[in-house]
Amino acid sequence: MKKSLTVNIFFKEVQNELKLKPMTDISFSESRMIERPGLNKPGLALTGYFKDFSWACLQLLSETEISFINDQFSDKNTKDIKKLCDFPVPAFIIISRKKIDQKFLDLCSEKKIPVFRSTKTFNELFETVNNYLDDYFAPSTQIHGTLVDVYGTGLLIMGRSSIGKSEIALDLVERGHRLVADDVVTLQKKDDNVLMGKSGGGYTPFMEIRGLGILNVKEIFGTRAIRMQKRVELVIQLEDWKKEVEYERLGIEDDSIKILDVDLPRIKLPIFPGKNITVIAETIALNLHLKVYGYNAGKEFNKLLLKKMKNQQRLTQYLKKDYE
Amino acid sequence: MVAEKIKIINSLGLHARPAAQVVKITTRYDCDVFISRDQMEVNAKSIMGVMMLAAEMNSEIMVKCNGPDEHECLNEIKELIANKFYEE
Repeated sequence: MKKSLTVNIFFKEVQNELKLKPMTDISFSESRMIERPGLNKPGLALTGYFKDFSWACLQLLSETEISFINDQFSDKNTKDIKKLCDFPVPAFIIISRKKIDQKFLDLCSEKKIPVFRSTKTFNELFETVNNYLDDYFAPSTQIHGTLVDVYGTGLLIMGRSSIGKSEIALDLVERGHRLVADDVVTLQKKDDNVLMGKSGGGYTPFMEIRGLGILNVKEIFGTRAIRMQKRVELVIQLEDWKKEVEYERLGIEDDSIKILDVDLPRIKLPIFPGKNITVIAETIALNLHLKVYGYNAGKEFNKLLLKKMKNQQRLTQYLKKDYE
Repeated sequence: MVAEKIKIINSLGLHARPAAQVVKITTRYDCDVFISRDQMEVNAKSIMGVMMLAAEMNSEIMVKCNGPDEHECLNEIKELIANKFYEE
């Protein structure tokens, strides 16, 4: 999935934070695309070395680059700079108070490359731009499911249509938990193992319950019933109960599912009439807390059991042939 | 009804994982299955029950199956125990 971002949108989003001022016609930015996150200082490219040049990134011009460009223009040696401007670079950002040769700005205007000046320091600019672009370019996907924050744990409920995901979410909300997204969940990968979820279209408070129609849980239960986004920590897979399928009995071996290459623990939950999934979902959330802190009830029970059996074995051997 | 005394021969005894394996077998069958050891008798379709027997190595358990597929069920349990629950 290849994404790109027009410089225009980027400029509008960050111009205040970065104190960006356009130095060429702002309309150029509408057709220029940022195709890769990050910032590039085109040092070597200015000197004519274009191998592996990261033209798809925003190009940053600091003191050295500006001095070099100014010198090249006064020496009338601008072949390489012109060549650089023939690449589809998204934009130049100048982060120095140093004056840049007007001829360079004219060249950029001619090639329709937007140029901005920022009064921020390199570090400030670097952080803001990277945060914004990493966020934008982070891998994301949409899935069919319901995301609820239960005791601070993000539970993603999945399963076939009309198996009862929304009803469980409604039940959980009624018990004081918070709805993040119903039906369409947008998942975005942050870092290597964090998956953030939010409502697909940004319609967090709305959900559909068969037989009732569209509900607004925020209006019904108040603002505490919703939450804009939440890290997904566990997947509950609802399934129709089948006799042949073997379900987890111990909770020692952990099942998992990969979404966007992030490993998430998964619990397959068979459902049948009369089973209170809401209470089970709450228990799953609390039990996950314990597991995160290193406590696994199944393993603890087994430890006790093994100890007991070992003692019994020792005792039987000790009392063997002891016919006092 | 069929019943048979079976000796546990794996070194760790009938702990959590083996108990889960036993339950996985018994829940697949329609017959009732009970396992007893000394005075304690438990339903072999309940994992907590099977674990509570705490049947260590060299102890003997009595497996009773009652129902249409009792022979197949008993045989499968016997095979599992004879193979040391595929642990060793």
